[in-house]
Amino acid sequence: MFELFFYGIVLGSIIALGSIGLSLIYGILRFANFAHGDLMTAGAYLALFFVTQLFEWLGIPDNTIGSLSFGIRMIITFPIVMIIISLLSIIIDQILYDPLRMKKSSPVILAMASLGVSFIIQMMVIIIWGSDSLFYKPGILRPAMELPLNIKIRPDQIFIILVVFFSISSLHLFLKYTRMGKAMRATSDNPELAKVTGIQTRNIIRLTWAIGGAMAALGGILYGIDVQLHPGMGWGFLLPLFAAAILGGIGNMYGAMIGGLVLGVVQQLSTSFLLPTYKPAIAFIIMILILIVRPQGIFGGRTLWK
Amino acid sequence: MILLELIELTSGYGKTDILNNFSLTLNKEEILSIIGPNGAGKSTLLKTIFGLLIPKKGTIRFQEEEVTGLSPDKMVRKGMGYVPQTENVFPSLTVQENLEMGAFIKKEINQNKLDEIYALFPILIPKRKEKVGRLSGGMRQMVAMGRALMLDPKVLLLDEPTASLAPLLVGMIFEKIVEINKNGVALIIVEQNAKETLRISHRGCVMAMGRKIFEDKGLAILNNKEIGRLYLGG
Repeated sequence: MFELFFYGIVLGSIIALGSIGLSLIYGILRFANFAHGDLMTAGAYLALFFVTQLFEWLGIPDNTIGSLSFGIRMIITFPIVMIIISLLSIIIDQILYDPLRMKKSSPVILAMASLGVSFIIQMMVIIIWGSDSLFYKPGILRPAMELPLNIKIRPDQIFIILVVFFSISSLHLFLKYTRMGKAMRATSDNPELAKVTGIQTRNIIRLTWAIGGAMAALGGILYGIDVQLHPGMGWGFLLPLFAAAILGGIGNMYGAMIGGLVLGVVQQLSTSFLLPTYKPAIAFIIMILILIVRPQGIFGGRTLWK
Repeated sequence: MILLELIELTSGYGKTDILNNFSLTLNKEEILSIIGPNGAGKSTLLKTIFGLLIPKKGTIRFQEEEVTGLSPDKMVRKGMGYVPQTENVFPSLTVQENLEMGAFIKKEINQNKLDEIYALFPILIPKRKEKVGRLSGGMRQMVAMGRALMLDPKVLLLDEPTASLAPLLVGMIFEKIVEINKNGVALIIVEQNAKETLRISHRGCVMAMGRKIFEDKGLAILNNKEIGRLYLGG
């Protein structure tokens, strides 16, 4: 049970990375980005290219660090892929969503467009890397450490939790104390008033995509390290991402964070009495229950249909 | 000295014109109130001045410079402040953060300016770190006005600053408006509380159907029986 709880925290922290981005984007642009999970996929596969091909070619050593399953290659990969996916997110926004917003398209149109983006990313991944599951380091033994209470955890998982904790804390400090962070929260609160105050909301929108994209990419790579890579991995995350964002109150970053953790833990705990294939169903049930009982989420956010 | 000049403005949403051939001048350090029935185009007027709506015809001159069609963030830079009627604060930000957002276009927050705003609205001092969403309507209005004052505007546009406030607070907001004006800020106030507004205004303008019906000194309008009967409810 403790072990499942711990695995839930690991999964939950990865979900949190995605749902924070989803929630921030919803908060500022008021549309549900169905391609958010696929940004995770794109990040994970791009990291695969760096770790197994580009860095091999560049001759960067492939040693592992301590008892982790990866090494210096992966450490360099994190920031590079996060930046690339940030830029990719901004580019997608500029060529697709921005023109739609200019035409004052409804949020439904934007959501459908994002569904298209989702399919494009998935298909591109399949074309380039194939549809089989892949690993960053195939064949490596991933020994678990034994902790008291019979908890078996892998060093990678501790790494994941630390990285997520560090990145979410950084984001929190950014939003709370910097001028741009405050402007982002202000724009999420009231985009019209933000314009009236002289905030250039276009820059805020770009910044939001950049942060959302970077967080998603990080989540994707971490999931790849913890489990495996699969073209449909991000799509599979979509339901938990939405459920977490809605659970915490969509548009509310802190809610999305807690929502992600709760969802991860509940999903993992459910495997002690249900088949693991029912995990998405658990996410779905939580989402439906929240929408019926408390649509503004536990911590308050926007109602979805505002 | 003319600060703001509107020349034959026509403006509206889509194909509907709400403002028709509207001309008006505002002098430096003057309080001008715009009164009139619902749907007269008062809010549309403020939105058009501030660049939230682009006029279809006409010219806006501000500090002897043409500013017709400039976007709100440029208007803010030119020295114009605007407080919308509703949703005029950032509810999930603290009082302090709301004020800081007022000076967003400046890279550095001017502490003296913040102190000035708190001196104008001392009631906000103990609430500095509270989220504005939790404050009462009156305090929110003060935060909204404080925010708009952060960049030392030459003119402040207030859209119904006392709408839905308790009578006690209405008086307080009007006192603050007079105080802001004494610091050298000109104001255009759109109000339903026509009598109180006219009492503190140097000049007033009565609007109906998107046009200017009448314009005079504030007290003169108050004493005008005809206008009183038609537009101020007796």
